[in-house]
Amino acid sequence: MSFILKLGASALALTLASAAYAEESADFWKKAAEPYQGVTIRGVTESSPPSLYIREVLAPEFEALTGIRVDVETTSWDQMFDKAIKDMEAGTGIYDMAYIEQDIIYSYLARGFLTDLTGFLAANPDLKAPTYDEANFTTFANYFKDADGNLYGVPMEAFLKVYLYRTDLFEDPKIQAAFKEKAGRDLVPAKTHAEYAEIAEFFTEYGKEYDLDLWGTTAQAHTGHVASWYEYYESIAPTFGVYNWGIDANNNYAASVANGGAMNSPEAVEAMTWWLSMRDIAPPESPASTWTEVGTTFGAGRAAQGLVYGENAGWIAADAEKSLVVGKVGVALPPLADGVLADAEAGEGYIGYYDGGAFGMPHSSKNKEATALFLQYIGQNEVQPDWAVAAPRVTNTATYEDPKVVAFNDELGGYYDLIKDKGYLFAGAPAYPFHAQVREATAPIFYQILLGELSPQEGLDKMAATAEATLSDLGYRK
Amino acid sequence: MQSKRLGWILLAPTLVILFFFGVLPFFYVVYVSFHSWNPFAVNPEMVFNGADNFRKIVFDTAFLKSIGVTVMFVVFAVLSELIIGYALAQAFMRDFPGKAIFRTIHTLPLIMAPIIVGSVWKLMTTPSIGIIPHYLEEWFGLTMNIGTSAPAAFATVVLMDIWHWTPLVTLTLIAALVSLPPDPFEQAQIDGAGKRQIFWHITLPMIAPAVVATVFIRLMDALRTVDEVWMLTGGGPGSATRFVGVHIFKEVFPKTNYGYGSTISVIVLYLTIVSCWLLYVTMLAPRSKRG
Repeated sequence: MSFILKLGASALALTLASAAYAEESADFWKKAAEPYQGVTIRGVTESSPPSLYIREVLAPEFEALTGIRVDVETTSWDQMFDKAIKDMEAGTGIYDMAYIEQDIIYSYLARGFLTDLTGFLAANPDLKAPTYDEANFTTFANYFKDADGNLYGVPMEAFLKVYLYRTDLFEDPKIQAAFKEKAGRDLVPAKTHAEYAEIAEFFTEYGKEYDLDLWGTTAQAHTGHVASWYEYYESIAPTFGVYNWGIDANNNYAASVANGGAMNSPEAVEAMTWWLSMRDIAPPESPASTWTEVGTTFGAGRAAQGLVYGENAGWIAADAEKSLVVGKVGVALPPLADGVLADAEAGEGYIGYYDGGAFGMPHSSKNKEATALFLQYIGQNEVQPDWAVAAPRVTNTATYEDPKVVAFNDELGGYYDLIKDKGYLFAGAPAYPFHAQVREATAPIFYQILLGELSPQEGLDKMAATAEATLSDLGYRK
Repeated sequence: MQSKRLGWILLAPTLVILFFFGVLPFFYVVYVSFHSWNPFAVNPEMVFNGADNFRKIVFDTAFLKSIGVTVMFVVFAVLSELIIGYALAQAFMRDFPGKAIFRTIHTLPLIMAPIIVGSVWKLMTTPSIGIIPHYLEEWFGLTMNIGTSAPAAFATVVLMDIWHWTPLVTLTLIAALVSLPPDPFEQAQIDGAGKRQIFWHITLPMIAPAVVATVFIRLMDALRTVDEVWMLTGGGPGSATRFVGVHIFKEVFPKTNYGYGSTISVIVLYLTIVSCWLLYVTMLAPRSKRG
């Protein structure tokens, strides 16, 4: 048999097998959902591209397939937490699904807010979909597991906060020559903070010189919103070697250097000073910018480089209706201090933020069976590629190999390659059940640093003391 | 006897609703205010701590600062709304071309949800893209950045509130002015009273109940302002616009400090009642005595 014939026969067999499998899969959903016809399950989530895809595409698909109605409420980040926590705290059972951001999972687990999905499916084998397997998820799913390895949320989005830069500017021969003349080196994405600052200063000056609306860097530096706090603790401090907010969980949750923490360490002060210097040469909207506005700033072509959440990197790089820099964006690892990369590779640190979330089932859900079916539905490999293209996020390893995703990866300047190959160097929020409490207690002082009312050293000293006091009040620090 | 019973029957649904949605939650908040309760603490249960929260509040500089900022906001916003609202009400009492259209446009902000107002003002004031900083720079060479300048942020919040709520004051005062009898004004004019004298000795005393009612409403609204400010500045820069409502929100929701947050709510409610009482005593009580 010739090679062509063999290939044709294999393709035919594969097609027939796939069709049969798809039919079997559809049969499963119909049969498993039979007892829950007419049931409505409700979810609450942040109004983000991946969540909107669930509401607009996956929920209607599931509804058509099973007869189970899915209402997904998309709201603001603050409101989402507020609604979900109140519901779970009171046990009212309004929501059957809630978005769990990676940084809040430890608080939810500590309070027993969530249903153990692994255990639930093991106890209800009739509900276990043949196309759903926890092993399909990337390692990001580990953030949503307990000590026994049981999963409490189906990952639905996972991004890196990446170093985004404008390829059209970095590859412009005239700009390259001007930069080389000034800096004495080639214009390439920065590897160190000094290089990054040099590039940022160059482009801000360049913008002024040619009267362009162009600045050298973005800065998520809102003076009244915790987005700035997050930029510093998730994305800046780690690149200077300050991990887990500078709090040592193994040392009685010490935050101050005096007690063994690093929140006010020389590295933390250096990180803060460097970041503030970048903020000062960023676009003027930066002190009023959260993660959303940083994306908008970059998409409007107002910054040459910056640290941008991956959920925004997608539309910035590929959506011509929203972005002015489509096809002009490259991604790279953030600039790092000496030793940080080695720490990350050794698993003793990390170089930036691995952001994301999952859909979990509150313990108070009144429709657990129907919800378990839907959560499995959105966790299947089959639904991932279109979702990854519509809202750049990858939660299943197989997604990387899909032709649609491979093509989209090129449009995104290799963003998916970066997640696949270098994702292990990034980390989610530390496993603190007091995440929001310490953040909110220290944020007002943080804003004072941003406004120059406190120097970085004074402010960080005060933040470390406040963090320790809050942890004592909450009972974590003895 | 029968009409009394009918009255109670008709009133019953309202009383039941008021009891469950007003009285009961209020007493629950008072109850919680005497407890330490954070569901994300090592001990997530409610623990009675006597008057500790009330003692703590006296030394809480963040809370005291938020009270100070709120009082300033209330004074500037409500006073401006009253003056502008009265001027506009007087203007609407006269006929002029396009009056109906102008009155409709003037009333439009009232129908907008506060969160939308906050969003619109955010778009108008964001540095680089907002029309307000743009024209301030182009016409007057002034730089406005509500992300870095506390006075600019505070002034913007006051302006936003004036823009949103002045129409309410105007409408209330128009209603009051329309209902005034013409006789006292005619007699005063015959006696040779000037416009200022007529305003101070006839108009103002006669519309005082309406003015006080309007100030009550605006005072209570302004003291609990959250959504517009939340949207526009998030309470920043720093704590420049962290009004007490925003402070309570941050304490209760993100920080989940339910016990202490309830204490602040109780204190703020008390301060609101005292402010309204003072207003009543100074503006209406002397008048009642005279009457």
